[in-house]
Amino acid sequence: MEPLSSIQIIGQILSQFLPVWIGLAAIFAVSIATKGRTGLYGKLFDSPVGMIGFGLVMFWILTALMAPLIATFEPLVQLSGMKNKLPGTPVPSDITAAVPYYLLGGDNLARDVFSRMIWGSQTVMKIAPSATLFAFMVGVTLGLPAGYITGKLDTFLSFLANLVLAFPVILLFYLLVTPEIRMAGTEITLWGGSKWITSIPNIMAAVLFLFPIVFFVVLFQSRFFTVPGKRNLYIGITLLIGLWAYSGLAFNADPVGIWGMDPNLLNIFVSVVFVNSPTVFRIVRGLTMDIKTRDYVAAAQTRGEGVWYIMLWEILPNARGPLIVDFCLRIGYTSILLGTLGFFGLGVSPESPDWGMTINEGRKLLSIFPHPALPPALALMSLVLGLNLLADGLREQSLKD
Amino acid sequence: MAKWDYDGPILEIDQLSISFFTRAGEIPAVMDFSCTVMPGEAMGLVGESGCGKSTVALGVMQDLGVNGKVVGGTIKFKGRDLSLMSPEELRDLRGNEIAMIYQEPMASLNPAMKVGKQLMEVPMIHEGVSKQQAWDMARQVIEDVRLPDPDRIMRAFPHQLSGGQQQRIVIAMALMSKPSLLILDEPTTALDVTVEAGIVELVKELGVKYGTSMLFISHNLGLILETCDRICVMYSGEAVETGSIKDVFDKMRHPYTQALFRSIPLPGADKNSRPLVAIPGNFPLPHERPPGCNFGPRCDYYEEGRCNKGDIRMAPITGDTRHDSRCLRLNEIDWNARVAAAATFEKTPIGEVVLKVDNLKKYYEVAANAIFGGGEKRVVKANETLSFEAREAETLAIVGESGCGKSTLAKVLMGLETATSGSVMLNGKEISQVDINDRSTRDVASIQMVFQNPFDTLNPSHKIGKQIIRVLEIFRVGENEADREEKMLELLDLVKLPRQFADRMPRQLSGGQKQRVGIARAFAGAPQIVVADEPVSALDVSVQAAVTDLLMEIQRNAKTTLLFISHDLSIVRYLSDRVMVMYLGHVVEMGTTDQVFSPPYHPYTEALLSAVPIADTSVVKKHIVLDGDIPSAVNPPPGCPFQTRCMHKVNVPGGLCDTEVPPMRDLVDGHQIKCHLSQAWLDQMEPVIQIAAE
Repeated sequence: MEPLSSIQIIGQILSQFLPVWIGLAAIFAVSIATKGRTGLYGKLFDSPVGMIGFGLVMFWILTALMAPLIATFEPLVQLSGMKNKLPGTPVPSDITAAVPYYLLGGDNLARDVFSRMIWGSQTVMKIAPSATLFAFMVGVTLGLPAGYITGKLDTFLSFLANLVLAFPVILLFYLLVTPEIRMAGTEITLWGGSKWITSIPNIMAAVLFLFPIVFFVVLFQSRFFTVPGKRNLYIGITLLIGLWAYSGLAFNADPVGIWGMDPNLLNIFVSVVFVNSPTVFRIVRGLTMDIKTRDYVAAAQTRGEGVWYIMLWEILPNARGPLIVDFCLRIGYTSILLGTLGFFGLGVSPESPDWGMTINEGRKLLSIFPHPALPPALALMSLVLGLNLLADGLREQSLKD
Repeated sequence: MAKWDYDGPILEIDQLSISFFTRAGEIPAVMDFSCTVMPGEAMGLVGESGCGKSTVALGVMQDLGVNGKVVGGTIKFKGRDLSLMSPEELRDLRGNEIAMIYQEPMASLNPAMKVGKQLMEVPMIHEGVSKQQAWDMARQVIEDVRLPDPDRIMRAFPHQLSGGQQQRIVIAMALMSKPSLLILDEPTTALDVTVEAGIVELVKELGVKYGTSMLFISHNLGLILETCDRICVMYSGEAVETGSIKDVFDKMRHPYTQALFRSIPLPGADKNSRPLVAIPGNFPLPHERPPGCNFGPRCDYYEEGRCNKGDIRMAPITGDTRHDSRCLRLNEIDWNARVAAAATFEKTPIGEVVLKVDNLKKYYEVAANAIFGGGEKRVVKANETLSFEAREAETLAIVGESGCGKSTLAKVLMGLETATSGSVMLNGKEISQVDINDRSTRDVASIQMVFQNPFDTLNPSHKIGKQIIRVLEIFRVGENEADREEKMLELLDLVKLPRQFADRMPRQLSGGQKQRVGIARAFAGAPQIVVADEPVSALDVSVQAAVTDLLMEIQRNAKTTLLFISHDLSIVRYLSDRVMVMYLGHVVEMGTTDQVFSPPYHPYTEALLSAVPIADTSVVKKHIVLDGDIPSAVNPPPGCPFQTRCMHKVNVPGGLCDTEVPPMRDLVDGHQIKCHLSQAWLDQMEPVIQIAAE
């Protein structure tokens, strides 16, 4: 078979993304039709910048969701004779495939660059938003009391945050991910016979993963202590799901075996949460200090509300605007951070299609074969750009109100 | 461009229309507005927020931003049409020929530049004078605005000056280039009353001295009366009545002007025998103005099929010069008809003592260095030996300017702070040392508060109904959720809001409606005492009356004790039974409303009474303007707290005022004064406010 021409390659790639195009068209059609009723989300569709950003982000989310439909090969498939082949090269004739070409060429291990880029989006989409969400839980849970109660607590927490911020991030990652540190510690046998090592990353995971549970328990307790029935229901559900997930994620000892995290991934996850939460902490603290001077906070104080009710139900909802914007930006930073980590070989696992790691591998032969490194780099760039534009759009629209 | 001479009017605005263009389409902000300002004349522009008065000022400055556009009419300054000028010419004009003074003095001054340098910039840019000349001119103008120690002020940064001093600097800066027209946009709204009086006097004097024409924008009719020669009343983007002060105040010829005057508490109004008449309905939003007369839906004289048909033009009033009104029924209405007597009320009997405060003191310690705790500790004496009682169904007004300690007092009462010493008895139970978290639910519900700023009093993230239900939950009112839901709807009825409002978000409500929700929230737990911290001062005049009346009505029915904190003596006189005047943490005078508002006065009360502008031409006031500003509570003067500004200090022998805090003296019938003046001096005091014989 003849190699594909450039135009044919582009045409084929666009048609591979067909499910994504359909999804995007559907989302935009529905959103624009209902934009008057969906608040801030609807207003996003009045701003061209916001729409472009939202489109880019949704493009990658849909790609990650529908990767099996889009990718032409499995991420780890190696085909003989395809090593470092140029884009559009047909696969050997004994292989049967729906699209019998390496659309963006092959890498130095004869894997399909296009498919790996598609599969790689899944890794980014899995870690970046959830790690950012955890960082927000930690930052919010600590930032609210620091800003509201102030005094010694604030001095102490701010000092801790400054310590973390002052430490070089990459060095910190190297330290946390080295095998020596990961293995240092005594081994404890937990329920069900699973083992847990008291290493620094593991302890950090145990502490950090506790925050969401604490957050939701306090959230419901402060609001519904006047209605015990409701309170018990909500807190019960939180504790049930929370502790179940906690046992699996932090201790890898889920009795049922649904929750669990690859130890490598856990390290990355914990490190990303750890370095992101101080910045979130500072933003939340600043917003809290501003909002706590409002009269509605004074009104809550004068009717004897508890501090956590005031922080979580009176202050936090009114800080949501800047926090949502920051959340979008922070997912972008986290994606870049994950890419950087992958580039330094600190990524999830060596053969995973993670973008950062793929760029690093492609880098070695960059001067001869640029095609394995460029697609993941462009993918990462477009996702982060999309998140930044989305944040800009949200900020612009929320200021107009 | 040199200044040019022109004999005619300084400013001629002819049928001006200004619109803002937004995504929602064109929003007319000003429609068919005409006015003329002659040389040396002061024109007052009065109206409620959103009526377009500031837009007119910005139009004159040709500074409407990207969205704003003049869509019709002309603005002529000294005979030249401003819209035909080039940007360079306009730039030269602004600050040189037309100067503007804004509401917030700190926002008009560059915080990173010394005051002297900022002042010197004006002549250096506009007239190109040398540095030395500019310095001399700046120093001269600082003296003209009567600031003490000009050399020190020249070298000071803006934040080192007080609010009143800053506003004087802004005025000085505006006058540096000897402009022909000075636009003042609510120049004193951010200042205290006694400081305001000083600024007003200054502006009047300088207007005469420099021969400057003025466009004075304010929502305060009393202030316009004191400063201006002519007035233009605006309503919803249109001028509704214009004329000389005397014509408009005494012979108003537009239903809105009339209603406005009836809704402000003038001397003589009384909550029981002569209650205020609030204007019904709400101010229309710019995009939902009614056809025809904008005031139609709220007007008593509205005539269907006539008032709502087509545009209405300004028409001159026969017999008066330059007095116009925008009313079709101008010549049909009997303007002198008495107001239909609004319902009068029996005075509610005053009950038992509910709250007794004895020798209350509240000091704050401020560490000089927050992190290391070192350095000298300074003490802020926020409240000094406060003693008073409040009885059931009584309204006790607490009057004072910023820094007088009234907010601290409220905090101690509510339990947000604990007292340094002294006692607060609620129903005979000591609560001064009990923090709000340690108080019983009943005690917390017994003292509730209505806040000042309507735009801040409700949490913007929760629905109105939810917020009220939360209060009920906290105060353990109602057995179950359905019960509380019902109670919440009843509370909405109580404050005269439609029940559908339960599902609204606060941003969908107007300022007055929000304040009603705030009142409903305060009364949710059947409180014995409600502390109302300036509950109406941030509202528009026409809404104030309605909210005040509502508060009075609920109080009358629930027999609540109301502690009404305010600096507005007109409203205090209207609604309070007893008045307590505070200054720098001290109670300086206390007594029934009549006792406090008639001689003998404490010198501070006297000055305060004189400072409050009253929108009534028949009132003759004694003219007292205090020097300087309120001292800081961190560093109060020794002896009498008021001695730095007191004009009667010379009448006390032996310099007693400098050394000793005067004792609280009992005059007649529980009228108390904290002053060293001898009885003879107090007895010969004259009333500050007198109503001239009509």
